[in-house]
Amino acid sequence: MSRQLKFNIFRFNPEDPNSEPHTDTFMLEETPSLTLFIALNKIREEQDPSLMFDFACRMAICGSCGMVINGRPGLACKTLTVELPQEITLMPLPVFKLVGDLSVDTGTWFRATNTKIESWIHTDQEFDPEAIEERMENDLANSIFELERCIECGCCLASCGTANMRDDFVGAFALNRISRFIMDPRDKRTDPEYFDVVGTDQGIFGCMGLLACEDVCPREIPLQDQLGILRRKMAFQGLKNIFKPKEKGRHRRF
Amino acid sequence: MSSSVDTAIFVKPPTRVSAYLDWLQMLTGAGLIMFMWSHMVLVASVNIGPNVMNTIAYFFEATYMAQVGGPIIGATMLLHFILAARKIPYTSDAQGVIWRHARMLHHTDTWLWLIQAFTAMVILIMGSVHIWTVLTNLPITAAKSAMRVQGGFWGVFYLILLPMVELHVGIGFYRIGVKWGFIKRSGRKKFHRFENIWTGAFILIGLITIIRLWTLPIAGN
Repeated sequence: MSRQLKFNIFRFNPEDPNSEPHTDTFMLEETPSLTLFIALNKIREEQDPSLMFDFACRMAICGSCGMVINGRPGLACKTLTVELPQEITLMPLPVFKLVGDLSVDTGTWFRATNTKIESWIHTDQEFDPEAIEERMENDLANSIFELERCIECGCCLASCGTANMRDDFVGAFALNRISRFIMDPRDKRTDPEYFDVVGTDQGIFGCMGLLACEDVCPREIPLQDQLGILRRKMAFQGLKNIFKPKEKGRHRRF
Repeated sequence: MSSSVDTAIFVKPPTRVSAYLDWLQMLTGAGLIMFMWSHMVLVASVNIGPNVMNTIAYFFEATYMAQVGGPIIGATMLLHFILAARKIPYTSDAQGVIWRHARMLHHTDTWLWLIQAFTAMVILIMGSVHIWTVLTNLPITAAKSAMRVQGGFWGVFYLILLPMVELHVGIGFYRIGVKWGFIKRSGRKKFHRFENIWTGAFILIGLITIIRLWTLPIAGN
């Protein structure tokens, strides 16, 4: 006999002045290969059409359906109910602005953070649409792609103790992103310039190494390794020319 | 996160302060870890014989390492506290955030950090008291240590301080390993298990040593 799943779902609509944060309970019969994504759609279709949650791709590529599943941030579409106990509690991701119920606005945060860390290739090379694409060693391309797989779902931020306490911390997402540009030979930024971006307490030195990001990342991006490499790189960069601090970074020193 | 513009950006050029402080936090931590483990081994020499401990203690005082090194260790501990405390939330609001976060997440490494922060406060007080007591009462001898422990108050004092210190340095050791990238993803589980066993072993050695001091006949030592 299949299980009767009990869903405790956080409900709150900030747009509605009469709405109070509370938890609603829904019962749903478990079916084979049931994911939280399917379950939520069923609940919305059959029980409560006002339930708010995000999804688009249903295959762990768009990063929209991040939510806190029994305490752990994860993707609803990638989580099978068989892996969960009979009682399932769903909460919206912390850190991000609540849109309503399980839906949060990750977009504004990611946009701002990407702008802050200048998350694009910095080059003075003029783009020539006629030219043959520049070649790159396959191993290097693969290792860049490994970090490029991030889908900006926000689970690393939501699980991060530092990000929960301090709203100026850029989180594993941005640090992984910068690592990707450091690897990329097309990005002409120098180490002192990267240091200006993440060599701070808002950047890599704010990371306390709790590794929840590593443990919840739905894409299993090697965050522990990247954060370690970046910390060492930036820490040594901080020591370079320690006795003549007038080296030229992007920002002029006073 | 706030998306407001930092209007002070032009008057505050990026500095290297964060990097220096992170280095110092790690290096003072690593130094204190090494010290605490050596300290435990040296005190545990009383289990081999009170004279072994007395000889070692005499060596450290004859070379003035205790008189000079002791205050340095105390100062290093305070410096490490100030550096690491930058990460510990001070307002009850932020403390509530990290507490609820840890309870929500069911995540070992996050709990370990809370243990680190809690034990840090206990060690700050009790460690300072211990350093003061020992250094103002030189020379160190097995008999004097035994007498202190057998008084009861100090026996309980050390029964509390021992696990606090060993947990703090054990977790700190693990944290430095994973945070600075010395331990990779593939080695983390193994390293974690090693750290648990290692910490357990030191707590056990410490307990045996406290029991030994508690039962040591004082006359003649």
